[in-house]
Amino acid sequence: MLYDLRRSDAQVRWLVTLLLGTLGVAYVFGAWMVGMYAGFTSRSVAATYVEPATMNMPMPAETTTVVEHDVTPVEMGHEEQHQVDRALLIQDTHVHVPMYGVIATILSIVALGLAIPRWLGFALITLLFAAPWLDFMGMWLTKLASPHFAVVTLIGGWAMGLGYMIVAALAFWQMWRPERGARK
Amino acid sequence: MKTLILGAAAAALLHITPTVTLMERSEVVSRLLEGADRFTAREIHLSSADERRLHDAAGWTPPDDVLTFYIGKRADRVEGVLVFMRVDSPHGPMEVAVGFDKAGAIRGVEVTKATVETKPWILEALRAGLTDHYRGLAVDAGPGAAGALKGKVGTMAEYMAELADRGVAHAGAAYRLFYR
Repeated sequence: MLYDLRRSDAQVRWLVTLLLGTLGVAYVFGAWMVGMYAGFTSRSVAATYVEPATMNMPMPAETTTVVEHDVTPVEMGHEEQHQVDRALLIQDTHVHVPMYGVIATILSIVALGLAIPRWLGFALITLLFAAPWLDFMGMWLTKLASPHFAVVTLIGGWAMGLGYMIVAALAFWQMWRPERGARK
Repeated sequence: MKTLILGAAAAALLHITPTVTLMERSEVVSRLLEGADRFTAREIHLSSADERRLHDAAGWTPPDDVLTFYIGKRADRVEGVLVFMRVDSPHGPMEVAVGFDKAGAIRGVEVTKATVETKPWILEALRAGLTDHYRGLAVDAGPGAAGALKGKVGTMAEYMAELADRGVAHAGAAYRLFYR
């Protein structure tokens, strides 16, 4: 292939390095935000995306009811579970999926310049695009079908990180590996 | 193009920055329910008639029509009551904690949550003594911290004080109508 990052101009390699570094920072903060709002366990992801109970609640009752239960100061301090309702998920999907597509395309273009077997290239590109699909498919299935599908979102999220790690590690290694007798 | 620019401007204006915690709830509990060693959450699920009553009294109804009072007790005697009130604004939500003493007067108020954008304005208002104005206030008295801070702080800090006043007024109405 004509496009080979190992033999590309130093400017191109520098661009790819900065691009991958920038995406890496975005991924780290993305993971941080996921940790804050949805968590990394199947249970917490399901609690975030499952259809809010209030949507199934009846209209206000005819009489006011009072429920009392003991709490500890720790329980009082518990934050309410962040929930993503259907309207917000529609908005999230609309905003995130195109951006994930752009990121997957950019990483795929970097992958095209790697010296890897053709089958691995296909697999890597498939992984880069499948990850966000799994991520959002899991969220929608959790909301519409069953909380058990939260695991699909987790798989999608980890796949996104894995795809980035593979591309970044191979690119950094192949672009900047010191080669004996290589032109500077 | 004009629509795009207007849309971007509207999005920028309406963008709400992330929430920040100004005081942890556990600290609020130790300050506003001081002396209590047992706590009870009393959840009041309002009927449509009571919801209307609260709306008529305070111009506000709670999310999901549920009011939660945290009651602090010591040896089965009520030491105080605490309510967390969220007040929304175009700059994001603010949360105030309002503590009532045994007699039903306001023991203290703490601002517990802000947003990245509103935090400096709230801190300015707090430095000017925002919460001091609520101490000892009767539940049916109108909170007037914003008026007291007028001219002493910037306009946005004054606006934050108005939001805090609103939260305290909502808490007072909820306590007066459904706790006592």
